[in-house]
Amino acid sequence: MTEEKINALRQTDTNLREALRMDEAERPQMPADLNERLMQRMASKKKKQRHVIWPWIAAACVAGVMMIWLTPPKPAKDVVAENTVTEKPIINSKVEKPETVKVETEATPPAPTPVKVKKAKVRKPVVQSEEKLLAQETIETPTIDEPTDNMAQATPKEKMRTLTEHDIPITRPENYKYTPEELALMKKQANEAYLKWVELELEIAKHNLEQTAQQ
Amino acid sequence: MMESDLNLIQGLRQQCPKAQQQLLERYGNDVFAQVARLVPVLENAEEVYQDVFVKVFMNIDKYDEAKSSLKTWISRIVYHESISFLRHKSMPTIYYEDREGEAEKLSETEVEATFGQPNPDTVQLIRAALKHLPPDERAIITMFYYEELSLKEIAFVTESIPTTVASKLSRTRKKLCKIIKMLQS
Repeated sequence: MTEEKINALRQTDTNLREALRMDEAERPQMPADLNERLMQRMASKKKKQRHVIWPWIAAACVAGVMMIWLTPPKPAKDVVAENTVTEKPIINSKVEKPETVKVETEATPPAPTPVKVKKAKVRKPVVQSEEKLLAQETIETPTIDEPTDNMAQATPKEKMRTLTEHDIPITRPENYKYTPEELALMKKQANEAYLKWVELELEIAKHNLEQTAQQ
Repeated sequence: MMESDLNLIQGLRQQCPKAQQQLLERYGNDVFAQVARLVPVLENAEEVYQDVFVKVFMNIDKYDEAKSSLKTWISRIVYHESISFLRHKSMPTIYYEDREGEAEKLSETEVEATFGQPNPDTVQLIRAALKHLPPDERAIITMFYYEELSLKEIAFVTESIPTTVASKLSRTRKKLCKIIKMLQS
């Protein structure tokens, strides 16, 4: 049907128009306070919008403070410069747990590294007697083959060393990892928990079946 | 567009309560009538009416003066809010569906005779038949015959095209005629 024909129907369909007019006349009037209620709703909506902002600001502030507080301090460079002989290898080895660190600190002194030899050389004039000093003059620079003398002097020095907070391995970011043993334990616990859950589900299902059978 | 309308729209865009009040005074009754036509229960109609105006106030920035008048734009929101309410929130209602295409078999002269020749009994029958039409079809009939909107305006309100509206009108007219015949028999 063309648009003109359709528009012409508007004039010709008098019964339909009359029916619609009568229907409209019988419709309920709009409640007098409806607009007032609507304006109140709008006002409350605006208020709500304003209130919504401040908890977000507060949350952002708290998150900021937490981030600053929980961020581990950067390791200070050469604070205990003289005592870092044993500490250097620990950092390079990226130890994951405090226990392993301990083991390594104890294990490192016997290893005859050239670094330790150099250190022992520095300390010698202070500790040794004149005779030994004379003997020392004749000896050439110590090598890896003769560490026994130097080691004996290096160990008391390490015993004197005081630990700083940087020595505690847990504060280092590289130690925020699980060891394979821990991971295996967690997997095992998760499997056990899953099995228990399945058993519980089965029990519930059995109980439901029994109840329905009784009914 | 009149200057007062432009001022009103500007005020609405600034979320000015005075402009909002003015809009309610100007279009409130028409909007309520449109809503009540589609949503029969008064409480539901009030709820839809409020939702419509909240949407109008919130989305006034999306209104494009070049595409339609403010009234037609509001009618579009009314139409969609009401249809959506009926679909999702109100109780499901059964309407007449011409599945076998029997209404299409009626001749144009037969339909014209039913709607064209003034008869008070036929008017009452049409009123009864209108209640059996689905809300979207009833809305199109009312927009065309009562509100006297053009096909283009109805197409804007229903998010359709004028030719689709024309064919839908023609089909609904025949469907109404079929319902009247069924009621008579």
